[in-house]
Amino acid sequence: MKIEAMTNAARTLEARGLCKQYGKQTVLDHVDLAVEPGCIYGLIGRNGAGKTTLLSILTGQNTKNSGEVTYGGEPVWENPRALSDLCFARELNPGSEVAALQVEEYLLAARLFCPRWDEEYARTLIKKFGLDTKKRINKLSKGQMSMVTITAALASRAPVTILDEPAAGLDVVMRECFYRLLLDDYAETNRTFVISTHIIEEAAGVFERVIVLDEGRVIANSQTDDLVDQFRYVSGSAQAVDRALAACGLQPLQQQGMGPHKTAAVRGTPEQFARLAAEPDLELSGLNLQNVFVALCGHGDEEG
Amino acid sequence: MKGMLNDQSLIYQQIAQLLEDGILRGEYPPETPVPSTNELARAFNINPATAAKGVNRLVEEGLLYKRRGIGMFVAPGALEALRQKRREAFAGTQIQALVREAKRLGMNRQELLDLVERQAEEEQLP
Repeated sequence: MKIEAMTNAARTLEARGLCKQYGKQTVLDHVDLAVEPGCIYGLIGRNGAGKTTLLSILTGQNTKNSGEVTYGGEPVWENPRALSDLCFARELNPGSEVAALQVEEYLLAARLFCPRWDEEYARTLIKKFGLDTKKRINKLSKGQMSMVTITAALASRAPVTILDEPAAGLDVVMRECFYRLLLDDYAETNRTFVISTHIIEEAAGVFERVIVLDEGRVIANSQTDDLVDQFRYVSGSAQAVDRALAACGLQPLQQQGMGPHKTAAVRGTPEQFARLAAEPDLELSGLNLQNVFVALCGHGDEEG
Repeated sequence: MKGMLNDQSLIYQQIAQLLEDGILRGEYPPETPVPSTNELARAFNINPATAAKGVNRLVEEGLLYKRRGIGMFVAPGALEALRQKRREAFAGTQIQALVREAKRLGMNRQELLDLVERQAEEEQLP
Protein backbone atom coordinates (compact mmCIF):
# COMPACT_ATOMS: atom_id res chain seq x y z
CA MET A 1 0.00 0.00 0.00
CA LYS A 2 2.72 2.35 1.06
CA ILE A 3 4.62 1.60 -2.12
CA GLU A 4 1.75 2.56 -4.39
CA ALA A 5 1.24 5.86 -2.61
CA MET A 6 4.71 6.99 -3.61
CA THR A 7 5.37 8.62 -6.97
CA ASN A 8 7.58 7.10 -9.63
CA ALA A 9 10.37 9.59 -9.08
CA ALA A 10 10.52 8.62 -5.42
CA ARG A 11 11.34 5.02 -6.38
CA THR A 12 13.69 5.56 -9.30
CA LEU A 13 17.20 4.22 -8.80
CA GLU A 14 19.60 6.29 -10.81
CA ALA A 15 23.28 6.35 -11.68
CA ARG A 16 24.88 9.38 -13.31
CA GLY A 17 28.40 9.51 -14.66
CA LEU A 18 29.33 6.49 -12.59
CA CYS A 19 33.00 5.48 -12.82
CA LYS A 20 34.84 2.71 -11.06
CA GLN A 21 38.45 1.64 -11.29
CA TYR A 22 40.19 -1.30 -9.71
CA GLY A 23 43.79 -0.12 -9.75
CA LYS A 24 44.50 0.94 -13.31
CA GLN A 25 41.63 -1.05 -14.74
CA THR A 26 38.44 0.85 -15.59
CA VAL A 27 35.45 -1.33 -14.74
CA LEU A 28 32.66 1.21 -15.13
CA ASP A 29 33.08 4.07 -17.55
CA HIS A 30 30.61 6.95 -17.10
CA VAL A 31 27.50 4.85 -16.62
CA ASP A 32 24.19 6.68 -16.83
CA LEU A 33 21.22 4.54 -15.94
CA ALA A 34 17.71 5.00 -14.55
CA VAL A 35 15.92 1.99 -13.11
CA GLU A 36 12.25 2.95 -13.18
CA PRO A 37 9.77 1.40 -10.77
CA GLY A 38 7.39 -1.43 -11.65
CA CYS A 39 9.49 -3.03 -14.35
CA ILE A 40 11.56 -6.20 -14.75
CA TYR A 41 14.98 -5.35 -16.15
CA GLY A 42 17.46 -7.80 -17.57
CA LEU A 43 21.12 -6.87 -17.27
CA ILE A 44 23.27 -8.65 -19.82
CA GLY A 45 26.97 -8.37 -20.51
CA ARG A 46 29.97 -10.59 -21.08
CA ASN A 47 32.17 -11.87 -18.29
CA GLY A 48 34.08 -8.94 -16.87
CA ALA A 49 31.73 -6.35 -18.41
CA GLY A 50 31.17 -4.87 -14.94
CA LYS A 51 27.71 -6.26 -14.10
CA THR A 52 28.35 -7.27 -10.50
CA THR A 53 30.34 -4.10 -9.81
CA LEU A 54 27.50 -1.97 -11.20
CA LEU A 55 24.85 -3.79 -9.15
CA SER A 56 26.88 -3.60 -5.94
CA ILE A 57 27.47 0.14 -6.36
CA LEU A 58 23.81 0.76 -7.21
CA THR A 59 22.87 -0.81 -3.88
CA GLY A 60 25.48 1.02 -1.82
CA GLN A 61 27.58 -2.08 -1.18
CA ASN A 62 30.65 -0.94 -3.06
CA THR A 63 32.43 2.38 -3.45
CA LYS A 64 32.63 4.41 -6.64
CA ASN A 65 35.41 6.67 -7.93
CA SER A 66 33.15 9.34 -9.34
CA GLY A 67 29.57 10.04 -10.37
CA GLU A 68 26.49 9.58 -8.26
CA VAL A 69 23.90 6.98 -7.35
CA THR A 70 20.53 8.16 -6.08
CA TYR A 71 17.24 6.59 -5.06
CA GLY A 72 14.28 8.93 -5.17
CA GLY A 73 16.78 11.75 -5.65
CA GLU A 74 18.73 10.98 -2.47
CA PRO A 75 22.24 9.53 -2.43
CA VAL A 76 22.17 5.80 -1.73
CA TRP A 77 25.52 5.55 0.07
CA GLU A 78 25.00 5.02 3.83
CA ASN A 79 21.43 6.23 3.50
CA PRO A 80 19.24 3.88 5.58
CA ARG A 81 16.03 5.15 4.04
CA ALA A 82 17.18 4.34 0.52
CA LEU A 83 18.93 1.12 1.49
CA SER A 84 15.84 -0.28 3.22
CA ASP A 85 14.09 -0.22 -0.16
CA LEU A 86 16.91 -1.99 -2.00
CA CYS A 87 17.80 -5.66 -1.90
CA PHE A 88 20.89 -7.02 -3.64
CA ALA A 89 21.03 -10.81 -3.75
CA ARG A 90 24.58 -11.76 -4.66
CA GLU A 91 25.66 -15.05 -6.10
CA LEU A 92 26.85 -17.21 -3.18
CA ASN A 93 30.14 -18.97 -3.52
CA PRO A 94 31.39 -21.75 -1.28
CA GLY A 95 34.66 -20.00 -0.44
CA SER A 96 33.15 -16.86 1.07
CA GLU A 97 32.81 -16.26 4.81
CA VAL A 98 29.04 -16.15 4.64
CA ALA A 99 29.05 -19.67 3.18
CA ALA A 100 30.00 -21.09 6.56
CA LEU A 101 26.52 -20.16 7.81
CA GLN A 102 23.59 -22.52 7.88
CA VAL A 103 20.82 -21.69 5.40
CA GLU A 104 18.64 -20.77 8.37
CA GLU A 105 21.24 -18.37 9.78
CA TYR A 106 21.80 -16.78 6.39
CA LEU A 107 18.08 -16.16 5.92
CA LEU A 108 17.83 -14.79 9.46
CA ALA A 109 20.56 -12.29 8.59
CA ALA A 110 18.77 -11.36 5.37
CA ARG A 111 15.63 -10.81 7.40
CA LEU A 112 17.44 -8.30 9.65
CA PHE A 113 18.47 -6.23 6.63
CA CYS A 114 15.05 -6.29 4.97
CA PRO A 115 12.33 -4.36 6.79
CA ARG A 116 9.63 -5.79 4.51
CA TRP A 117 10.76 -9.42 4.94
CA ASP A 118 7.93 -11.90 4.36
CA GLU A 119 8.66 -14.93 6.56
CA GLU A 120 5.67 -16.91 5.35
CA TYR A 121 6.72 -16.45 1.73
CA ALA A 122 10.29 -17.46 2.64
CA ARG A 123 8.98 -20.69 4.24
CA THR A 124 6.85 -21.43 1.16
CA LEU A 125 9.87 -21.00 -1.11
CA ILE A 126 12.14 -23.15 1.08
CA LYS A 127 9.56 -25.90 0.95
CA LYS A 128 9.11 -25.53 -2.79
CA PHE A 129 12.88 -25.78 -3.33
CA GLY A 130 13.21 -28.62 -0.82
CA LEU A 131 16.05 -26.82 0.99
CA ASP A 132 17.46 -28.26 4.21
CA THR A 133 17.78 -25.13 6.36
CA LYS A 134 20.16 -26.83 8.83
CA LYS A 135 22.77 -27.39 6.12
CA ARG A 136 25.74 -25.06 5.78
CA ILE A 137 25.79 -23.05 2.57
CA ASN A 138 29.21 -24.39 1.54
CA LYS A 139 27.76 -27.91 1.69
CA LEU A 140 25.04 -27.08 -0.83
CA SER A 141 25.11 -27.77 -4.55
CA LYS A 142 25.44 -24.80 -6.90
CA GLY A 143 21.74 -25.04 -7.74
CA GLN A 144 20.74 -25.07 -4.08
CA MET A 145 22.90 -21.99 -3.46
CA SER A 146 21.00 -20.22 -6.23
CA MET A 147 17.75 -21.26 -4.53
CA VAL A 148 18.91 -19.69 -1.24
CA THR A 149 19.74 -16.45 -3.07
CA ILE A 150 16.38 -16.48 -4.83
CA THR A 151 14.54 -17.15 -1.57
CA ALA A 152 16.28 -14.22 0.13
CA ALA A 153 15.58 -11.91 -2.82
CA LEU A 154 11.92 -12.76 -3.27
CA ALA A 155 11.09 -12.85 0.46
CA SER A 156 12.79 -9.48 0.96
CA ARG A 157 9.76 -7.88 -0.71
CA ALA A 158 12.07 -4.93 -1.35
CA PRO A 159 10.60 -2.38 -3.80
CA VAL A 160 13.80 -2.69 -5.84
CA THR A 161 15.11 -6.25 -5.84
CA ILE A 162 18.35 -7.02 -7.65
CA LEU A 163 19.52 -10.55 -8.41
CA ASP A 164 23.00 -11.29 -9.68
CA GLU A 165 23.04 -14.42 -11.87
CA PRO A 166 20.18 -16.15 -10.02
CA ALA A 167 19.79 -18.73 -12.78
CA ALA A 168 23.47 -19.68 -13.03
CA GLY A 169 23.39 -22.85 -10.95
CA LEU A 170 19.88 -23.98 -11.85
CA ASP A 171 18.94 -26.67 -14.33
CA VAL A 172 16.45 -25.81 -17.04
CA VAL A 173 13.42 -27.06 -15.08
CA MET A 174 14.37 -24.99 -12.03
CA ARG A 175 15.05 -21.96 -14.19
CA GLU A 176 11.54 -22.16 -15.59
CA CYS A 177 10.27 -22.53 -12.04
CA PHE A 178 12.26 -19.48 -10.94
CA TYR A 179 10.93 -17.27 -13.75
CA ARG A 180 7.40 -18.42 -13.00
CA LEU A 181 7.82 -17.54 -9.31
CA LEU A 182 9.29 -14.21 -10.31
CA LEU A 183 6.43 -13.38 -12.67
CA ASP A 184 3.82 -14.48 -10.12
CA ASP A 185 5.39 -12.24 -7.48
CA TYR A 186 5.70 -9.40 -9.98
CA ALA A 187 2.03 -9.73 -10.98
CA GLU A 188 1.12 -9.47 -7.30
CA THR A 189 3.47 -6.71 -6.13
CA ASN A 190 4.54 -4.87 -9.30
CA ARG A 191 7.91 -4.22 -7.69
CA THR A 192 11.08 -3.56 -9.63
CA PHE A 193 13.49 -6.35 -10.46
CA VAL A 194 16.94 -6.16 -12.01
CA ILE A 195 18.27 -9.57 -13.02
CA SER A 196 21.67 -10.25 -14.48
CA THR A 197 22.05 -13.42 -16.50
CA HIS A 198 24.21 -15.23 -18.99
CA ILE A 199 21.40 -17.48 -20.09
CA ILE A 200 19.76 -14.92 -22.28
CA GLU A 201 17.26 -16.35 -24.68
CA GLU A 202 14.94 -18.12 -22.26
CA ALA A 203 14.77 -14.97 -20.11
CA ALA A 204 14.01 -12.65 -23.01
CA GLY A 205 10.24 -12.91 -22.54
CA VAL A 206 10.51 -12.13 -18.85
CA PHE A 207 12.42 -8.88 -19.27
CA GLU A 208 10.31 -5.87 -20.14
CA ARG A 209 13.48 -3.87 -20.57
CA VAL A 210 17.03 -4.93 -21.18
CA ILE A 211 20.25 -3.16 -20.23
CA VAL A 212 23.37 -4.17 -22.17
CA LEU A 213 26.67 -3.51 -20.44
CA ASP A 214 29.80 -3.78 -22.56
CA GLU A 215 33.30 -3.03 -21.32
CA GLY A 216 31.98 -0.88 -18.50
CA ARG A 217 29.56 1.14 -20.60
CA VAL A 218 25.77 0.90 -20.98
CA ILE A 219 25.35 0.45 -24.72
CA ALA A 220 21.61 -0.24 -24.70
CA ASN A 221 18.74 0.32 -22.30
CA SER A 222 15.37 -0.11 -23.95
CA GLN A 223 12.26 -2.23 -24.20
CA THR A 224 13.37 -5.73 -25.11
CA ASP A 225 11.15 -5.98 -28.21
CA ASP A 226 12.17 -2.51 -29.41
CA LEU A 227 15.85 -3.37 -29.14
CA VAL A 228 15.50 -6.73 -30.90
CA ASP A 229 13.47 -5.14 -33.70
CA GLN A 230 16.34 -2.79 -34.57
CA PHE A 231 18.35 -5.71 -35.96
CA ARG A 232 18.18 -7.95 -39.03
CA TYR A 233 20.27 -10.59 -40.71
CA VAL A 234 20.71 -9.83 -44.38
CA SER A 235 21.87 -12.65 -46.59
CA GLY A 236 22.53 -13.23 -50.24
CA SER A 237 25.52 -13.14 -52.54
CA ALA A 238 28.37 -11.19 -50.92
CA GLN A 239 28.24 -8.70 -53.76
CA ALA A 240 24.49 -8.10 -53.46
CA VAL A 241 24.68 -7.78 -49.64
CA ASP A 242 27.61 -5.34 -49.74
CA ARG A 243 26.02 -3.23 -52.46
CA ALA A 244 22.61 -3.05 -50.73
CA LEU A 245 24.09 -2.24 -47.30
CA ALA A 246 26.25 0.52 -48.77
CA ALA A 247 23.23 1.96 -50.62
CA CYS A 248 21.28 2.08 -47.34
CA GLY A 249 24.20 3.47 -45.38
CA LEU A 250 24.37 0.41 -43.11
CA GLN A 251 27.49 -1.02 -41.50
CA PRO A 252 27.54 -4.76 -40.78
CA LEU A 253 28.03 -5.46 -37.06
CA GLN A 254 28.97 -9.02 -37.70
CA GLN A 255 29.28 -11.01 -40.87
CA GLN A 256 29.84 -14.51 -41.96
CA GLY A 257 30.86 -15.55 -45.42
CA MET A 258 30.51 -18.95 -46.95
CA GLY A 259 31.94 -19.03 -50.44
CA PRO A 260 30.18 -16.37 -52.49
CA HIS A 261 27.29 -16.25 -49.96
CA LYS A 262 27.22 -13.92 -47.02
CA THR A 263 25.11 -13.10 -43.98
CA ALA A 264 25.50 -9.79 -42.20
CA ALA A 265 23.88 -8.57 -38.98
CA VAL A 266 22.85 -4.92 -39.17
CA ARG A 267 21.19 -2.39 -36.90
CA GLY A 268 18.85 -0.05 -38.74
CA THR A 269 15.50 1.69 -39.08
CA PRO A 270 12.22 0.27 -40.41
CA GLU A 271 12.74 2.38 -43.56
CA GLN A 272 16.16 0.87 -44.18
CA PHE A 273 14.81 -2.65 -43.62
CA ALA A 274 11.91 -2.01 -46.01
CA ARG A 275 14.42 -0.95 -48.64
CA LEU A 276 16.47 -4.10 -48.12
CA ALA A 277 13.37 -6.30 -48.17
CA ALA A 278 12.46 -4.92 -51.58
CA GLU A 279 15.71 -6.31 -53.04
CA PRO A 280 14.73 -9.59 -54.75
CA ASP A 281 18.16 -11.20 -54.25
CA LEU A 282 18.32 -10.68 -50.49
CA GLU A 283 16.76 -12.55 -47.59
CA LEU A 284 15.98 -10.70 -44.39
CA SER A 285 15.40 -12.40 -41.07
CA GLY A 286 15.03 -11.31 -37.47
CA LEU A 287 17.43 -11.83 -34.59
CA ASN A 288 16.59 -13.06 -31.11
CA LEU A 289 17.93 -11.32 -28.01
CA GLN A 290 20.90 -13.63 -27.80
CA ASN A 291 21.83 -12.94 -31.44
CA VAL A 292 21.49 -9.21 -30.76
CA PHE A 293 23.76 -9.53 -27.75
CA VAL A 294 26.45 -11.32 -29.77
CA ALA A 295 26.17 -8.74 -32.59
CA LEU A 296 26.55 -5.89 -30.09
CA CYS A 297 29.17 -7.32 -27.74
CA GLY A 298 30.94 -10.00 -29.77
CA HIS A 299 33.58 -7.61 -31.19
CA GLY A 300 34.42 -10.33 -33.69
CA ASP A 301 35.53 -12.72 -30.91
CA GLU A 302 32.97 -15.33 -31.92
CA GLU A 303 34.92 -16.02 -35.09
CA GLY A 304 37.84 -17.18 -32.99
CA MET B 1 10.63 -21.04 -20.98
CA LYS B 2 8.27 -19.44 -23.41
CA GLY B 3 6.23 -22.57 -23.94
CA MET B 4 4.94 -22.74 -27.46
CA LEU B 5 6.50 -19.47 -28.51
CA ASN B 6 9.55 -19.45 -30.75
CA ASP B 7 12.51 -17.12 -30.53
CA GLN B 8 12.55 -16.14 -34.17
CA SER B 9 10.11 -13.26 -33.99
CA LEU B 10 9.15 -10.67 -31.42
CA ILE B 11 7.22 -12.08 -28.51
CA TYR B 12 4.47 -9.47 -28.53
CA GLN B 13 3.93 -10.12 -32.23
CA GLN B 14 3.62 -13.84 -31.54
CA ILE B 15 1.00 -13.11 -28.89
CA ALA B 16 -0.91 -10.92 -31.35
CA GLN B 17 -0.59 -13.60 -34.04
CA LEU B 18 -1.80 -16.28 -31.63
CA LEU B 19 -4.95 -14.31 -30.82
CA GLU B 20 -5.50 -13.58 -34.52
CA ASP B 21 -5.21 -17.29 -35.34
CA GLY B 22 -7.74 -18.03 -32.58
CA ILE B 23 -10.18 -15.55 -34.07
CA LEU B 24 -9.66 -16.93 -37.62
CA ARG B 25 -10.24 -20.49 -36.41
CA GLY B 26 -13.43 -19.40 -34.69
CA GLU B 27 -12.17 -20.15 -31.17
CA TYR B 28 -12.98 -16.59 -30.16
CA PRO B 29 -16.24 -15.65 -31.91
CA PRO B 30 -17.34 -12.01 -32.06
CA GLU B 31 -18.49 -10.52 -28.74
CA THR B 32 -16.72 -13.17 -26.67
CA PRO B 33 -13.74 -12.52 -24.38
CA VAL B 34 -10.12 -13.36 -25.23
CA PRO B 35 -7.68 -14.44 -22.48
CA SER B 36 -6.57 -11.62 -20.19
CA THR B 37 -3.07 -10.19 -20.18
CA ASN B 38 -2.33 -12.01 -16.94
CA GLU B 39 -3.63 -15.32 -18.30
CA LEU B 40 -1.44 -14.94 -21.38
CA ALA B 41 1.58 -13.96 -19.26
CA ARG B 42 1.08 -17.00 -17.07
CA ALA B 43 0.42 -19.40 -19.93
CA PHE B 44 3.63 -18.44 -21.75
CA ASN B 45 5.76 -17.39 -18.76
CA ILE B 46 6.31 -13.94 -20.18
CA ASN B 47 6.24 -10.42 -18.82
CA PRO B 48 2.63 -9.13 -18.57
CA ALA B 49 3.72 -5.88 -20.23
CA THR B 50 4.81 -7.86 -23.29
CA ALA B 51 1.51 -9.78 -23.36
CA ALA B 52 -0.34 -6.45 -23.05
CA LYS B 53 1.60 -5.05 -25.99
CA GLY B 54 0.40 -7.94 -28.14
CA VAL B 55 -3.22 -7.53 -27.02
CA ASN B 56 -3.03 -3.77 -27.57
CA ARG B 57 -1.91 -4.21 -31.15
CA LEU B 58 -5.22 -5.95 -31.84
CA VAL B 59 -7.10 -3.22 -29.99
CA GLU B 60 -5.39 -0.58 -32.15
CA GLU B 61 -6.44 -2.49 -35.25
CA GLY B 62 -10.03 -2.56 -34.03
CA LEU B 63 -10.09 -6.36 -33.76
CA LEU B 64 -10.58 -6.32 -29.98
CA TYR B 65 -12.30 -3.80 -27.76
CA LYS B 66 -12.24 -3.22 -24.06
CA ARG B 67 -15.25 -3.69 -21.82
CA ARG B 68 -14.47 -1.70 -18.74
CA GLY B 69 -13.88 -3.83 -15.70
CA ILE B 70 -14.50 -7.09 -17.59
CA GLY B 71 -11.79 -7.50 -20.18
CA MET B 72 -11.03 -7.62 -23.88
CA PHE B 73 -13.68 -8.78 -26.33
CA VAL B 74 -13.63 -9.69 -30.01
CA ALA B 75 -15.09 -6.85 -32.09
CA PRO B 76 -18.18 -7.61 -34.22
CA GLY B 77 -16.47 -7.31 -37.63
CA ALA B 78 -13.13 -8.79 -36.46
CA LEU B 79 -13.25 -11.98 -38.52
CA GLU B 80 -13.88 -10.19 -41.82
CA ALA B 81 -11.34 -7.44 -41.07
CA LEU B 82 -8.75 -10.04 -40.14
CA ARG B 83 -9.31 -12.07 -43.30
CA GLN B 84 -8.90 -8.93 -45.38
CA LYS B 85 -5.70 -8.00 -43.58
CA ARG B 86 -4.22 -11.49 -43.84
CA ARG B 87 -5.09 -11.64 -47.56
CA GLU B 88 -3.07 -8.52 -48.19
CA ALA B 89 -0.16 -9.90 -46.19
CA PHE B 90 -0.53 -13.25 -47.98
CA ALA B 91 0.27 -11.67 -51.34
CA GLY B 92 3.23 -9.81 -49.91
CA THR B 93 4.85 -12.68 -48.02
CA GLN B 94 3.78 -16.25 -48.81
CA ILE B 95 3.12 -15.70 -52.51
CA GLN B 96 6.36 -13.80 -52.90
CA ALA B 97 8.30 -16.58 -51.16
CA LEU B 98 6.55 -19.17 -53.35
CA VAL B 99 7.45 -17.42 -56.59
CA ARG B 100 11.03 -16.77 -55.51
CA GLU B 101 11.54 -20.41 -54.56
CA ALA B 102 10.08 -21.52 -57.90
CA LYS B 103 12.52 -19.20 -59.63
CA ARG B 104 15.47 -20.65 -57.70
CA LEU B 105 14.33 -24.14 -58.70
CA GLY B 106 14.31 -23.13 -62.35
CA MET B 107 10.56 -23.59 -62.77
CA ASN B 108 8.58 -21.60 -65.29
CA ARG B 109 5.29 -19.84 -64.73
CA GLN B 110 3.11 -22.63 -66.04
CA GLU B 111 4.84 -25.28 -63.90
CA LEU B 112 4.23 -23.19 -60.78
CA LEU B 113 0.59 -22.58 -61.68
CA ASP B 114 0.09 -26.31 -62.33
CA LEU B 115 1.44 -27.13 -58.88
CA VAL B 116 -0.87 -24.59 -57.25
CA GLU B 117 -3.78 -25.98 -59.26
CA ARG B 118 -3.00 -29.55 -58.18
CA GLN B 119 -2.76 -28.60 -54.50
CA ALA B 120 -6.00 -26.60 -54.72
CA GLU B 121 -7.67 -29.69 -56.20
CA GLU B 122 -6.40 -31.89 -53.35
CA GLU B 123 -7.60 -29.45 -50.68
CA GLN B 124 -10.92 -29.06 -52.54
CA LEU B 125 -10.63 -25.29 -52.70
CA PRO B 126 -13.85 -24.16 -54.41
